[in-house]
Amino acid sequence: MGQEDARGPEGESDRADISARRASGRPLLLRTAGIAAGYGEETAFEEVSLEVYGREVVSLIGPNGAGKTTLLRCLAGILPLRQGRVEKAPGLRMSYLPQRLVFDRLLPVTVAEFLSLRLGRPFFRPAWPEGERVESLDELGVTSLLDRRLGELSGGELQRVLVAAALAKRPQLLLLDEPATGVDLLGAAAFDALLHRLRDRDGLGILMVSHDLHLVHHISDWVYFLNRRILASGPPKEVMREERLAAAYQRFPHPG
Amino acid sequence: MAFFSDALAHTAITGVALGLLGESAVELWLGLALPPGIPSGLLILWCLGAAWVMASLFESARWRPDTVMAFCFTGSVAFGVLVLGKLGRYGFLEETLFGDINANSWGDVAVLGVVTVSAAIVLGRRLREFLLILLDEDLALADGIPVRRFNRILVLLVAAVVAIALKLLGALLVSALLVIPAAAARLVAPNLRLLLVFAGIGGFLGSVGGVVLSFYLDLATGPTIVLTQLALLLIALGLQPLLRGRSRSQSRGSIEATDSQSIWPSSESR
Repeated sequence: MGQEDARGPEGESDRADISARRASGRPLLLRTAGIAAGYGEETAFEEVSLEVYGREVVSLIGPNGAGKTTLLRCLAGILPLRQGRVEKAPGLRMSYLPQRLVFDRLLPVTVAEFLSLRLGRPFFRPAWPEGERVESLDELGVTSLLDRRLGELSGGELQRVLVAAALAKRPQLLLLDEPATGVDLLGAAAFDALLHRLRDRDGLGILMVSHDLHLVHHISDWVYFLNRRILASGPPKEVMREERLAAAYQRFPHPG
Repeated sequence: MAFFSDALAHTAITGVALGLLGESAVELWLGLALPPGIPSGLLILWCLGAAWVMASLFESARWRPDTVMAFCFTGSVAFGVLVLGKLGRYGFLEETLFGDINANSWGDVAVLGVVTVSAAIVLGRRLREFLLILLDEDLALADGIPVRRFNRILVLLVAAVVAIALKLLGALLVSALLVIPAAAARLVAPNLRLLLVFAGIGGFLGSVGGVVLSFYLDLATGPTIVLTQLALLLIALGLQPLLRGRSRSQSRGSIEATDSQSIWPSSESR
């Protein structure tokens, strides 16, 4: 079985599914070829080859320590690759949403300032200009938070600010790390609706790391099962069959 | 950065000692006196070099940063004191540790001005990058900012500023000027923009006020500046509760006034 695992995506998924995905007419946004990365002497993942198309929600699942977050950080350009190649569509605009923002909560940064900085707007403008509307801010209810300090926001509010900032850059590809963990306040249903709208209305490609298998199952167009390598890939109904998942999580318990 | 500026200031003792050594050597062998401004220029170069070495050691991950700083600064103090002793110029130790505003020549003042203006220009032009890195390094990297390079630039800026402040405050007190105005501004600033403005104004007022006070009260300049800064910090501490209460009620009002179109009916308006 070790032999088959090493073959990557094609190893376990149905070739018909793969060709259907490639023939769907959606633009290819990002493709990796045999990439590897890690921290220090540790290798977090290796030989990862995957694709993300536009108008598609792709999920990365796998046990803790499987390298999911590291993979996303690599694709976002935070961590250097050790091996392999990442090909991006020319001029691809990408936004990355971290699992959480690690910042000094005592720093009096307001939401408006944070957004100005991230969007590259003039920082010393006294306030967010009246009447200037950024769609994603309105949509996510962030407009009413502009004068609040980042450090006083609740987890759910902060998550909304981060999502709004990520979307305000008008990305074609969105990288989401555990987007559902901070969203206790938002409600899972609203979050689903947002993802659907981003995909269907705005045509975004979304690559998301998630532990929430229920969410992954009903929202994803394609799923990669990662445990240091990609062990399975395909439509959720194929990859996430109960016996298959149980076997996979059992065969590859938490490493170390 | 607070401990870093402290450690750097102490490495300057070796810088001063080596400067004196060089000066004596030039006098002895060439019979020339160094033109004014050259020693402080060399001191700045020394601080930049020491900062670069320390920053490189931080990245080597062999030791923790505070360990690196501890051995760098104790080593430099020890070496500098030995050299000063051999030169028979212990008097400079006191000047280096506590600063002496009267020891500045017009050449020094010119160097000070040039460094200050260049530091301000670098900081001003790259403020967005520095602030994004301050907020979250990962996000900054994801936004395409070369974080490592900017961190190095920041280290060099701090080094240059420490080097020019040394003459005023001395190695023991220099970090006060870097830390106290920002700490005071943080207490009263409602946002990051005003924090930057307040820290600048506080630093300026504290320093000028300290110099003026030390002149009229006939006190040592460096310590007077530090105590003036601390007095401003205490005032800020006293003002904080008043300002806090006001900003709270303001922000609550603005939320109620806005008809939020949130797709997520949330609890924030309650």
